[in-house]
Amino acid sequence: MTRYRWFVLPAIGAIVVIIGWMVFLSLGENLVYYLTPNEAIEQRAQFPDGERFRLGGQVEVGTLVATSDGVEFTVSDGAHEVHIVHQGAPPELFREGVGAIVEGAWDGDVFRSDQLVVKHDEQYQAPEDEGHPYEVPTDA
Amino acid sequence: MNRHRILGLIALAAVLVGFYFGGQAPLDQLQGDYTRIMYVHVPSAWLAYLSFLVTFAASILWLARRKPVYDRIAESSVSVGVFFTALALMTGMIWGYPVWGTFWDWGDARMMTTALMFFVYLGYLALRRSIPDPAMRATRSAVLGIVAFFLVPLSYVSVIIVRTLHQGITVVRPDSPIDGEILLALLSNVGAFTVVYLAFMSVKTAIARGEEQLEEQSAAADATPAGAAITAPNLEKVRDV
Repeated sequence: MTRYRWFVLPAIGAIVVIIGWMVFLSLGENLVYYLTPNEAIEQRAQFPDGERFRLGGQVEVGTLVATSDGVEFTVSDGAHEVHIVHQGAPPELFREGVGAIVEGAWDGDVFRSDQLVVKHDEQYQAPEDEGHPYEVPTDA
Repeated sequence: MNRHRILGLIALAAVLVGFYFGGQAPLDQLQGDYTRIMYVHVPSAWLAYLSFLVTFAASILWLARRKPVYDRIAESSVSVGVFFTALALMTGMIWGYPVWGTFWDWGDARMMTTALMFFVYLGYLALRRSIPDPAMRATRSAVLGIVAFFLVPLSYVSVIIVRTLHQGITVVRPDSPIDGEILLALLSNVGAFTVVYLAFMSVKTAIARGEEQLEEQSAAADATPAGAAITAPNLEKVRDV
């Protein structure tokens, strides 16, 4: 049977990945990684205050404000907007105009989050390029 | 100089050229120096996909033609591919921590399919160790080498078909949103890593061939008639007791 002990590591690894993924997907009761502001507003009834889910969108330029224990900003999908009150230090590259994914729950009309990641897109541009969407003020 | 050494030196030169272009290219305006992790991360992921594609093709050829060389290529390519899958996962985590704000995300389809790919191909190597008969080993692992390949296109398109934290496809699209010099640096490193793949494969297939010969020798030694060591029972001694 010693020949089969080499399966232990791959088997455990594959099982951990599959269980981890399934646990994540079942948490949100949603087979998507995050909801857009539009979907979050549409499905407001399914997510009462305190029911956690993920929300992703573009950080609106001119809405980022530093607070005593985090940041406040608005994410948008172009048509709909959600105001985010985030507790905790945002990642280094977080700024206005980038995509962000927050995890938290509704609290009335605002979304309170305690986890924030930056969704970098597939663009790679040198700073001198003009007309690029990342040409936004860096200071909150 | 033998073939391995020549290929190794060409690979080293290609990597140095890649280093040069990687150092010369401008930095992404948002990511700064973190851009450079891409020059290792993307070529590693490319080699992972390429390796498993080669295994897929070699596995089909083994099943069709039953020539040991195809089995050696299939096995060697998985060994190299698993190494570069691990490198892609690790550089992804190192890159993700400062840029996304997290090492790992259990909900991201690109990360999950790549991790699954890593463990399934590690399982391929475990399967090979568990089957002593060379022909049976080659056939069974060829079946796995063909079936497991579905993870490669799945991993590649995962960023298009579902929402992920991982960014979408940059290079293979008509309106590639990447700076020309950054793209040149990226492609030179993809090319350099491909030469590294060939150098690794040259050595690894030679090792596989050596192992095969060793296996044949020990199989021949085992085949010596077992009866040669057996003598007739000493019945006289038994009678004396």
